[in-house]
Amino acid sequence: MVDKKNNLKFKTKNVSVFYGSKQAINKISLDIEEKQITALIGPSGCGKSTFLRCLNRMNDVISNCSVNGKILLDGNNIYSDEIDPVLLRAKVGMVFQKPNPFPKSIFENIAYGPRIHGIGNNRAELTDLVHHSLEQAGLIDEVKDRLDDIATGLSGGQQQRICIARAIAVNPDVILMDEPCSALDPIATAKIEELMSSLSKSYTIIIVTHSMQQAGRVSQKTAFFHMGDLIEYGETPKIFTQPDQQKTQDYITGRFG
Amino acid sequence: MSFSTLLLLIIAFSLCSFFFSSSSAFKKIKSATSRPSALPKHYGQYSLAWTLFPAFLLLIVFTIIGPIYVDNFFKQQIALTEASYDKAKIELVLAMIKNISNGSISSDEPKILKLADEYSNYLSKIYLFRTLSVLLLSSILGIIISSNINILKNSRVKVETFYRILFFVSAVIAIFTTVGIIASLLYESLRFFALYPFFDFLFGLHWAPNIAIRSDQVAAQGSFGMLPVLLGTILVALIAMIVALPIGLFSAIYLAEFASKRVRDIIKPTLEVLAGIPTVVYGYFAALTAAPFIRKIGMTLGLDVSSESALAAGAVMGIMIIPFISSLSDDIINSVPQSLRDGSLGLGATKAETTIKVVLPAAFPGLVGAFLLAVSRAIGETMIVVMAAGLSANLTINPLETVTTVTVQIVSLLTGDTEFDDIKTLSAFGLGLALFAFTLILNVIALVVSRRLSEQYD
Repeated sequence: MVDKKNNLKFKTKNVSVFYGSKQAINKISLDIEEKQITALIGPSGCGKSTFLRCLNRMNDVISNCSVNGKILLDGNNIYSDEIDPVLLRAKVGMVFQKPNPFPKSIFENIAYGPRIHGIGNNRAELTDLVHHSLEQAGLIDEVKDRLDDIATGLSGGQQQRICIARAIAVNPDVILMDEPCSALDPIATAKIEELMSSLSKSYTIIIVTHSMQQAGRVSQKTAFFHMGDLIEYGETPKIFTQPDQQKTQDYITGRFG
Repeated sequence: MSFSTLLLLIIAFSLCSFFFSSSSAFKKIKSATSRPSALPKHYGQYSLAWTLFPAFLLLIVFTIIGPIYVDNFFKQQIALTEASYDKAKIELVLAMIKNISNGSISSDEPKILKLADEYSNYLSKIYLFRTLSVLLLSSILGIIISSNINILKNSRVKVETFYRILFFVSAVIAIFTTVGIIASLLYESLRFFALYPFFDFLFGLHWAPNIAIRSDQVAAQGSFGMLPVLLGTILVALIAMIVALPIGLFSAIYLAEFASKRVRDIIKPTLEVLAGIPTVVYGYFAALTAAPFIRKIGMTLGLDVSSESALAAGAVMGIMIIPFISSLSDDIINSVPQSLRDGSLGLGATKAETTIKVVLPAAFPGLVGAFLLAVSRAIGETMIVVMAAGLSANLTINPLETVTTVTVQIVSLLTGDTEFDDIKTLSAFGLGLALFAFTLILNVIALVVSRRLSEQYD
């Protein structure tokens, strides 16, 4: 298992991000393997979320943000002029820190992405897709009788799984998760973690988390960020048991952070 | 002493008591062994409130009640001396007495002159009494309170009570003013409906208040069916909304969702300039520029356009409302949480798709409220239609014809020399009541709709 060489999904080289004149991350080079869960950990403000948002160009939304360096997705530079960030985001989905379902019905939430991208031409196909996505998100049994209810009326954990189902529905290759469990209770968190493990069979997942236990539980590889630098990157068990860097050791043992 | 001098004096008194009390509290707190329950300024505010407000209240009461009391007293006097006078005659004599006593007219009747003399004596006595009692109350309370500062008593809580009462009274005054306005409107309207049947007014198809040019002229009894006037109002408001709604909403969307900060900083103030143009300027723009322009275009197209068309007035009114809609909508769109936009963009939606499918539906309840407020404004707008819409009440929905609006009719019925017991004048109050009811209903709908919809979306 350890020796098995996975395909690389993302290759990043010397990625630096600036907000105005303030540098948020500094020359990050990090390769991410396909159909694995990669965790990004580090103290607040270390640049892990910024790095994550570079991977589907969500940083473009922030007006004074500039990105240097190279990010290759399946060998193509996603910051080249030929790449349409809108199509990129269909391929690299995202789940946010706070559950943000649209104030529409559960059905409409899931069907939103497919409709925009022209997947599912008729009602029957769309219904199938919605059911399939909810099934993958482990939510179908809880909501199948009330697909027309407003999604914002669900519990926080259910809302977050709606957001995951919504991302799955456009059939992405990669799902980025920005602290997906930070607003949830332990039971909902456990459900999401279970879901991540099952989703990693078909998707590449990159998760930013504050919880080292979570990173330890779900991820195969872990990257430790500190003050905008990538300190260490490797197999998760190794990072948590015998890290090479003193800073990593200090962080995972709770000496700072 | 006059009202304002007295007011200034008691304000001065209360400021003195403020400084005296706070400094005395300060000294006491400094030398106190136990922890005081309030700051020096609270003791100051406490004694200021007691020095100012009771005396102020007394001043108001005297100012309102005093002259009424004197008038009543003299009415009795006149009635006693001249038993033959009826009510109206007594009023007349009283008015004469008042005018003589303040020197605006003179008379050579010794009886009247004597009464006038007595009147001014009496009034000045009342005023002297007012001055003395107000000053006495203010100074006594001020001295008692500020010389008995007890720092163990928590004056912070008492000052709080004063603030609460102050704010409550302000709110009550606002409500009473509104109630008063509505009551006067209702009262005059009822006088009108006593002269003219209510349902004829409400559903009549003919509006022709035939104003008499001379008082002895035998004018035909006017016809007061408000439907043509109401229809004209609705037509002009509708045209205004057709112009203002898309432009206002779309410019708000552009500003909130697409514009860079630099462009926003230019466009927003420019739109606000539009809001700063006086409506009378819009009015002559409509009458002198827009109306002839529309007429010319109509003529080249072979259409018969009246020189005071509903279209011109409505279009210019629409331009006036654009900044109103755009700035309200801009605020509403901006209040949609960024997380919803992120969620949509993160699924690979474009900005326009995100705006149309996520942001606008989420903002919809607020937008409905904003639009209905704008409609009320269009309906109540007066100056533009006075200058650019016509006076003749045509029952038409053709925007190229002349129509008149409720506000225009009210203005034309109430300007110039008017008799206030005439049916034509009174009909203006009927129109005013109708207009008030109409906009009230719209506002209530706006409130209900936005509340119902936002329940659905929260």
